[in-house]
Amino acid sequence: MGIAPGAVLDSPARAAYLTTMKLTVNGREREVTPDPVESLADTLRARLHLGGTKVACGRGECGSCTVLLDGRAVYACLTITRACEGAAVTTIEGLAPPGELHPVQRAFIEQDAVQCGYCTPGQVMAAVALLAAEPAPDEPAIRRAMSGNLCRCGTYPRIAAAIRSVAGRGGGTGA
Amino acid sequence: MPDESRRFITTTIEVEGREETKVVELPGRALAPWEADAALAIVGHPVARVDALEKVTGAAVYTADRVAPGMLHAVLVRSTIPRGRATVDLEPARGVPGFIDAITFNDLPSGSKPVRAGGVRFLDPDVTYAGQPVACVCAETSGQARAAARAVRLSYAPLPGAVTAAQAIAGGAPPVRARGGNVSRSSPVEASRGDVERGLAEAEVVVRGRYTTSSALHTAMEPHGALAEWHGDQLTIHEGTQGIFAVRDEVAAAMGIPRSRVRVVMEHMGGGFGAKNHAGAHTYAAAFLARRTGRPVRCVLDRAGEQVDTGHRAPCTIDVTLGARRDGTLTAIVAAALVDQGISGWEASTTKIFHELYACPNVRTTEVFALSNTHAMAAFRGPGHTEGAFALERAMDELARELGMDPLAFRLRNHADHDQEKSRPYSGGPLRRCLEEGARRFGWEGRHARSEAPGRAETMPGIGERAGTFPAGGPPRWRRGFGLAAQVWPAGGGPPAYATVRLHPDGSVDVLTGTQDLGTGARTIMAQVAAEALGARLADVRVILGDTERTPYTGNSWGSMTTPSVAPAVRMAAEEARQHLLEAASEVLGVERDRLATGGGMITRRDGGDPVPIADITCRLGDVTITGHGSRGPNQPGVAFTTFGAQFAEVEVDTATGHVRVVRITAVHDVGRVLNPLLARSQLEGGIIQGLGLALFEERIIDERLGRPLTTGIHDYKVPTMADIPDIDASCLAAVDTTANPVGARGLAEPPIIPTAPAIANAVADALGVPVNDLPLAPWRILGAIR
Repeated sequence: MGIAPGAVLDSPARAAYLTTMKLTVNGREREVTPDPVESLADTLRARLHLGGTKVACGRGECGSCTVLLDGRAVYACLTITRACEGAAVTTIEGLAPPGELHPVQRAFIEQDAVQCGYCTPGQVMAAVALLAAEPAPDEPAIRRAMSGNLCRCGTYPRIAAAIRSVAGRGGGTGA
Repeated sequence: MPDESRRFITTTIEVEGREETKVVELPGRALAPWEADAALAIVGHPVARVDALEKVTGAAVYTADRVAPGMLHAVLVRSTIPRGRATVDLEPARGVPGFIDAITFNDLPSGSKPVRAGGVRFLDPDVTYAGQPVACVCAETSGQARAAARAVRLSYAPLPGAVTAAQAIAGGAPPVRARGGNVSRSSPVEASRGDVERGLAEAEVVVRGRYTTSSALHTAMEPHGALAEWHGDQLTIHEGTQGIFAVRDEVAAAMGIPRSRVRVVMEHMGGGFGAKNHAGAHTYAAAFLARRTGRPVRCVLDRAGEQVDTGHRAPCTIDVTLGARRDGTLTAIVAAALVDQGISGWEASTTKIFHELYACPNVRTTEVFALSNTHAMAAFRGPGHTEGAFALERAMDELARELGMDPLAFRLRNHADHDQEKSRPYSGGPLRRCLEEGARRFGWEGRHARSEAPGRAETMPGIGERAGTFPAGGPPRWRRGFGLAAQVWPAGGGPPAYATVRLHPDGSVDVLTGTQDLGTGARTIMAQVAAEALGARLADVRVILGDTERTPYTGNSWGSMTTPSVAPAVRMAAEEARQHLLEAASEVLGVERDRLATGGGMITRRDGGDPVPIADITCRLGDVTITGHGSRGPNQPGVAFTTFGAQFAEVEVDTATGHVRVVRITAVHDVGRVLNPLLARSQLEGGIIQGLGLALFEERIIDERLGRPLTTGIHDYKVPTMADIPDIDASCLAAVDTTANPVGARGLAEPPIIPTAPAIANAVADALGVPVNDLPLAPWRILGAIR
């Protein structure tokens, strides 16, 4: 009996050879039983109901699904969940405690770095990862780090302004 | 002022260049406009987007995030050939684990009028473009649905077709569809004024050119999607759409149920740009499968589906002839456009702008809308005008060059100060102010001082250090150029649009209006207008949009219509609520009504008493809910409600690689009152960046032999990234338009994309000294132009 690629349904056939694995998501240890090639984006959205991680292309072209994997920005749609055993994943939902905002989120609001908002969680996560690695990036560094996150509304000048406004103020910490 | 005795009146509304005459309902009363010097506390101020918090925290829910208990996932099965008959074998799909149901054309209700999606019959096995849906399967999970869709076996009896306009109109071309021929019924569309033969005879200088524009794909980040749920005989659809009422009406007709039984909801959507104005195959698939299975069904397109089957900007070939006297006076404008609509679509005029942008007594345009075996066009931000502006503004620069005139001086010389087609005044503008202000901000006069430094060492993001020139004595490798282009676009909005404002006992306020926020900031604008008119605090106002059942009617968010159509209705509703509030306050406080006013969340008094919070009055009323209703009044006849803009570009061209780098863009637009400068700047920058994509990168490629689109993802179809963005100085003139409507604003969404590509192309032509007349200006085209 075969299993449909990408299927996310519990069935006796799956249980027969798939084991559960541990994943720390937003600081909480979670047990999941993903399919062998299931993407982290699917696991987060369909199994853990974390809808803030958006999927716009599903093939690593746009960056909408950017999350932090042990502090580094990755495309969740191209990351295989089974390869993340024991890793710490941070999504947009876990960036700041409930009711609080990460400095990057606050800067995005203040600088109007948001239009339709669909790419925004990925942009915020990429910006947080950049500032964690490089607390005071110059303009070329911002552009280089962020050019893998597409925004069709053309919010780029505002996103760059938001990152500049946080840069050098310790905005990369706290992720 | 409306005539008190009349309830209905005929008015004229321009939507994306199409003029519509409508019978509309008159509002109960007229509002005096907010004058230019009105002291406004919230409108016109840079307040933060009211839904930004939801969006930056990932809490905003889009269609693809919506889950209903028991929900199934649906996937469309698409033809891989452009023309012929497809035979669909669903049997292999039925064996895929999790498979629940599938439909083909034969499963649709017979006898009724066929359901149409994307300009063709829904699930029609007689396909007319590659990517056309022929079946839809649903399964328990999205992965299973994808697997089941892949398992469906398609076989074809192909027919010859044509996948470009040139192929479609060639002699002996095979028909692209069963009936109706290869050009639209209205083609050729002809329009003229004056006598172009005489104008050309009077001309001392004539230029001729052929200009082509590419097929651009909207490429919204959120793909099209719908979630359909039946509750008894009531259907609810969640869909990221620019027109909730349009989707409601189309789905009701398709399902054969009354409009009152269909509810369409749109909370947030990830961009539209013109591609999301109607119900699509995904909508009908979800609705039919939900009815058959008795379970909620969600159908969200994958990226390939989004890129091959949701519309495109129609590619054009435009032949232009311009004539002028030696002194630079235009004497004739002639244009002939061939537009590739794909298999269907409305006819966005690419030639209307030739009649409007510059003063000229003699204009003649001809336009042929060809059909081809590619997916139907869909309006894309500034449809028609954007393509036409590229051809006209490139030709204007060529003529200026022949005349030896400065491109700015040449345009000012031929400035149009009124709508020449209808001999009527503009409500705002004129264009001259944008050209002059833009030139000043850009430094147009002194620009050549900057052009003397090609080939200097400079770091480019991602590229690293650049140095040197071609071998000594040769031409400089990097060339710098400057260009400009202008824009007009009708964006006055109009009725019908309705709004309701409710004031709760605790002083909080609901604004209900059935419009859509595509990411434009409509939700924020309406909150500002309501707070201003009511005298409430912005933080106390919540705007509820996008629900056909619970919010009053407004039209689609297209044609830069939303602000000028809906904001006046919201203002009227809030003004009415304020009148009722003041009456109540008068009663509660024992102060005469005309001694009371509102502002900043307070009832202010002119009797010497202290201001009282609005909530102190409303809570004394108990459960009385103060309510105001508003509607959009008719447009004043005999006036053109047009937006204007001018953009200036500086580019560097690498003559070794053909790479164009846009260094900076200055944009000055006139859209009437700017309701929120923060949002206006974002809209302007966004339009310019999409225009930059059109200028440099974006092009749908069709394999002309197989008839299949090759640009099925965002690596193949290139949209601008942050690394491509120039310095942008975008601003609006302070030009409140009290003629247009009582809030003084015209539309802003589309104007900024229109002049960007021609401004960049003019700058590239200036840099290279050769014309560049075909978009996009990809490196291979640049290298070809200078060879």
